[in-house]
Amino acid sequence: MKLCETEIGRQYRIARMNLPEDTGRRLRALGMTQETSLSVLNRKRNGCLIFKVRGTRLAVGRDIANAIEVESL
Amino acid sequence: MRENNGGSQEIQVGFVGNPNCGKTTLFNAYTGARLKVANWPGVTVEKKEGAMKYHNHRFRLVDLPGIYSLTSYTMEEKLSRQYIMEEDVDVIVNVVDASNLERNLYLTLQLIELGKPVILALNMMDVVAERGMEIDLHRLPEMLGIPVIPVSARKKTGLDILMHAVAHHRDKKNDEKLEHHHQTAAQSKHIHKHHEEYTVVYSDEIEDRIDEIGAIWQKHYGARKEAVPKTAGLRWISIKLLERDPEILEAYPLAAAELPRESYETRITNEKYDFIEEIVEEVVVNKSSKEEHTDRIDRLLTHPVWGLPAFLGIMALVFFLTFTIGDWLKGYFELALDAFSGGVAAALGFLYAGDILTSLIVDGIIAGVGGILTFLPNIFILFLALAILEDSGYMARVAYVMDGVMGRIGLSGRAFIPMLLGFGCTVPAVMASRALEDPADRRKTILITPFMSCSARLPIYVLFSEIFFARHAMLAAYSMYVIGLVIAILSAFVMRLFQKKRQEHTLLIELPEYKTPNAHTIFIYVWEKVKDYLTKAGTTIFFASVVLWAMLNFGPSGLVEDMSQSFGAMFGRGLAPVLAPAGLGMWQVALAFLSGLAAKEVVVSSFSVLYGIGNINSAAGMAELSGILAASGFTALNAYALMVFCLLYTPCVATLATMRRELNSGKYMAVSLVFQLAVAWLAATLVYQAGRLLGLG
Repeated sequence: MKLCETEIGRQYRIARMNLPEDTGRRLRALGMTQETSLSVLNRKRNGCLIFKVRGTRLAVGRDIANAIEVESL
Repeated sequence: MRENNGGSQEIQVGFVGNPNCGKTTLFNAYTGARLKVANWPGVTVEKKEGAMKYHNHRFRLVDLPGIYSLTSYTMEEKLSRQYIMEEDVDVIVNVVDASNLERNLYLTLQLIELGKPVILALNMMDVVAERGMEIDLHRLPEMLGIPVIPVSARKKTGLDILMHAVAHHRDKKNDEKLEHHHQTAAQSKHIHKHHEEYTVVYSDEIEDRIDEIGAIWQKHYGARKEAVPKTAGLRWISIKLLERDPEILEAYPLAAAELPRESYETRITNEKYDFIEEIVEEVVVNKSSKEEHTDRIDRLLTHPVWGLPAFLGIMALVFFLTFTIGDWLKGYFELALDAFSGGVAAALGFLYAGDILTSLIVDGIIAGVGGILTFLPNIFILFLALAILEDSGYMARVAYVMDGVMGRIGLSGRAFIPMLLGFGCTVPAVMASRALEDPADRRKTILITPFMSCSARLPIYVLFSEIFFARHAMLAAYSMYVIGLVIAILSAFVMRLFQKKRQEHTLLIELPEYKTPNAHTIFIYVWEKVKDYLTKAGTTIFFASVVLWAMLNFGPSGLVEDMSQSFGAMFGRGLAPVLAPAGLGMWQVALAFLSGLAAKEVVVSSFSVLYGIGNINSAAGMAELSGILAASGFTALNAYALMVFCLLYTPCVATLATMRRELNSGKYMAVSLVFQLAVAWLAATLVYQAGRLLGLG
């Protein structure tokens, strides 16, 4: 499932990221490596969301959230 | 290291770390500087230097914008990377938010790989303690192989020890290393002693690739001494080549066949994080998550439905306080100013100062500068409120909340932060746009930020809305902020229509923990702004008042009795017809607008000088101005058109200069100047003509 389709309050594991090279690098540098788990804190209807990964809260826009595949934990 | 005349050496220390980890607070603590700190990522956009002494060592400290990694992609991050790579930095102090080691250590590992002396400053140890966490300060330096010094920049603890460590480790290579990582040396098929040499050791395959590509690099570039960056060693270059770092590939082009078929960036990052997980596992005791209060606040402030109304409510409160408390404080200011003005006039009379001199001082300087000073309470409250917003951690949330709206105009929510800062002052707001990745987005943000009503425009609204809108004064002033915001968004929308390539713009921002705003931080922030305002009153506004006074008192025939014969009036009359459709076709208004280019407050001080009103912001001053204007048929409708024009027209020269520098183009600045003038004229004319059709005014 895509990150933008997740439910608030639940935990997920990153499966794949299909992002442009530099955005991907940036997210990996922030600790969003494969298999990393994250918990969704808030999400707007358009897919823009806030989640917590490795102790950091990140807000990402719809396009990034659309390009990240996650698995339910 | 720089030699100075005395022969003792100056140690150059670079403060490097993630955004919002307290580098600037630490820098301020050492140097006594008062650089702005706030609780959102990306406050520092420029490199700042300062000097300090510790025992017989002299240090040059360099505060850098925050970075998450050495593969940076925003403008301010490139600056940091460039500094670390190229400059003569002797010691890197890696400032780390101890309450968030897991993410912060990624940069640390990259810095260690660079090969320069690195010292880890574990900041925010007080937060760690508050959360009931503990960090094993013996094991951490063992695992990293670099000195680790706990500090609290805010409470100023550990500062001496940190500088002591800097002085002692500048020449040392990071020596003690340790074995870690999944496999023991015995199991490894890769023949190396890397665990003795390096902090981060990768899996065999990657280590093999590092050796191979290193050898290829040596063959091509090893002989060229100048080719090697001052700071980095071969291992670092090899790793960057494997990661296909664009800048390194550009500096050292290799044939496609010499590079591995795919980038190893993902795997290298993964393995670094694997190691970090090992460290955190061993070093952090009681990984408690006592952070519920941030989540609780966020449940409302970033709520899918209530987030936006909450933001609008907060901004309405900010301006409500600005107008009400500011006005309440203003009364006391006025008493003092009236007494001062009267006293000076009496003293000048007593000294038999000539009429011209008395007129210059009383009608020119005191009227102009003094009149502006009475708005200080409003300005003070506005900046106090903004300071609290910035230090609480809310700013980053605004980027998230506004992302939907900003997306419609082709910008990410991140671009709203500069716009919001524009409510304070446009100059730093324009600079803050550096945090945006895409140059086209940056340009767009810079071009629309001046429409956000800055504090310098506040006196204009306060004055004219109180004179002409009496009970609805606050509503009239509020509407200016809304109009500015709407015009900014419309402009960006129009620019988007003309944009050839429309890429999607994606928000990516870290949300810090909420915290109670720090009194000292707020004090410095507000004090710097108040000082700026006073300085501006004493310089720009002072000058503008004197020049305006001269223009109004001299004409082609020399000293004039009647102002309408002066140079100023002639000038204003030339411009007035253009403003007539907006109901502002008076030479005095035209002249005030022209002076307002120096600083927007000057529009107000100009009215004082033009009509010789001692304290324009007092009840008597307002009544006087109201009487004069009413006599020439100037109604509430004209006043509203005037406010709209002032809101939108060409920003002050300081902003123009900043825009020129940040856009790196005189052309774009000139376009924006003309564009804003046109928008201001159109909007004011629209207001005036529509108002007349409706029978107002």
